[in-house]
Amino acid sequence: MMDEERFQELAAMNALGMLENDEKRALDGAVARDKEVRSLTLELEQVTAELAYLIQPVEPPANMKKRIRAKMRAKGVKGAGVSRGVIIGGTGWALAASFALVSVWLWQQRSSMTQQLAAASRAIAPVNNPATPLVDDGKTRTLEEELKKRRDEFEAQKLALAKEIEMLNKRETEAKAQTARLTAEVAALKEQEQQSQLQIATLQSKVWEYRRSEMLVVWDQKRSQGVVMLDKMPKVDSDKDYQLWVVDPSKPNPVSAGVVTVDAKGSVKTVFKPVEAVSGEAKFALSIEKKGGVPKSEGQLLMVGP
Amino acid sequence: MSQPELSEEDLLQRAGRGDSRAFDQLYDRMAPRLFGLLRQMLHDEREAEDILQDGFVLLWERASTFDPERSKAFTWAVMLFRHKAIDRMRMLGRRNRLVDSAALEQSTLGASLQAGVDEEVQAHERRVVVGEALKELPKEQRQLIEFAFLKGLTHHVIAESLGIPLGTVKTNIRRGLLRLRDLLKGGA
Repeated sequence: MMDEERFQELAAMNALGMLENDEKRALDGAVARDKEVRSLTLELEQVTAELAYLIQPVEPPANMKKRIRAKMRAKGVKGAGVSRGVIIGGTGWALAASFALVSVWLWQQRSSMTQQLAAASRAIAPVNNPATPLVDDGKTRTLEEELKKRRDEFEAQKLALAKEIEMLNKRETEAKAQTARLTAEVAALKEQEQQSQLQIATLQSKVWEYRRSEMLVVWDQKRSQGVVMLDKMPKVDSDKDYQLWVVDPSKPNPVSAGVVTVDAKGSVKTVFKPVEAVSGEAKFALSIEKKGGVPKSEGQLLMVGP
Repeated sequence: MSQPELSEEDLLQRAGRGDSRAFDQLYDRMAPRLFGLLRQMLHDEREAEDILQDGFVLLWERASTFDPERSKAFTWAVMLFRHKAIDRMRMLGRRNRLVDSAALEQSTLGASLQAGVDEEVQAHERRVVVGEALKELPKEQRQLIEFAFLKGLTHHVIAESLGIPLGTVKTNIRRGLLRLRDLLKGGA
């Protein structure tokens, strides 16, 4: 859309009070910069205001003028209730001065009478409602109305704030639930990641006696430890032991992971940990060594994998 | 000998100079029309009274800024009172929803074009001119403008309330108001 049409649209909607806050800011910026936009905005505001000529008039409450005066007094509006701009000259000043003196005297009389009336009222007022004013003039009523109005405004604001607080609490609860969900997700991902570092290897033998033997290694590289499971392994001589080795590509010789003793059926499941740290992708091997194991492999490697 | 009746522009200027009698007269002339407008906008008698009260206090305070070369006194006052009403609606959270669905049918500027008993001649003439100009607009533009003028809602809410695409609302409002401006200036 061309800029001209866009600003016409914004000015038209502004005139009808339809703009959202960000659009109003955009228009205000253009009004400050561009004389034509400023002129159009004012013109459309006036056109819109003219529609009010078509409104059906409704008489306001009879005490509205008093209420307006009371509001002006409460706000301390300058010049409220006083006709200014009236030019008095010549004998008018003398009359005005006399009038002022009489007014002061009458005011003092009135104040005195009001105080007496108030004292009398207090004296005869019911004990359970001592605050009820018996002297009730127009000013009291209008001030009461003003106080009531302000109280209503505060109530409306309180209600709006309560709603906002409720909404924020709801958002906080939702955010907490979301955080809990995300935390659980992170934990699951961590676990998954941890699992992804587990290496599972099955070892095969090319030696005839071990053709039916099975060996499975689950290797946790992060913890540098694993579980080995052997089955259908032939018995070894009494002075010999099976020994497990971890082949680290960065090291010249296999690293010992300890002696593995099988049961009568040739089976075992045991945790192993190499004597040295292993990095990189490990391979595993099994050999028959002297009883109790050796630090460096001397015997034949029976099984290797993966 | 009775004085010739002062125009609303004269009264507003005098009020701007601190003449409270002029302010009283201005109140007598404008308050019924402004109160009618506020009642239609706010749908609440009490709220309308409050804005009328606050609006006239503001009018007294700002009357000295009124420039009769730039606008009529009544349109100047309407702008002031509408802004106050829209601010109140915003405070009450009413700008983002239609308070009463029945308001859809009630939102027309249906005042009679007959002169009121106490109506100023100038105001009556302007009412007739504005009424005729509004009738010249296509129905869809006229209805949208009347609805928006009386409700003080955002364009998103108006589009949703009336079931009209947002783009159509914006275009009709723009075209309608520009046309209305030209008609009120005396253009065809």
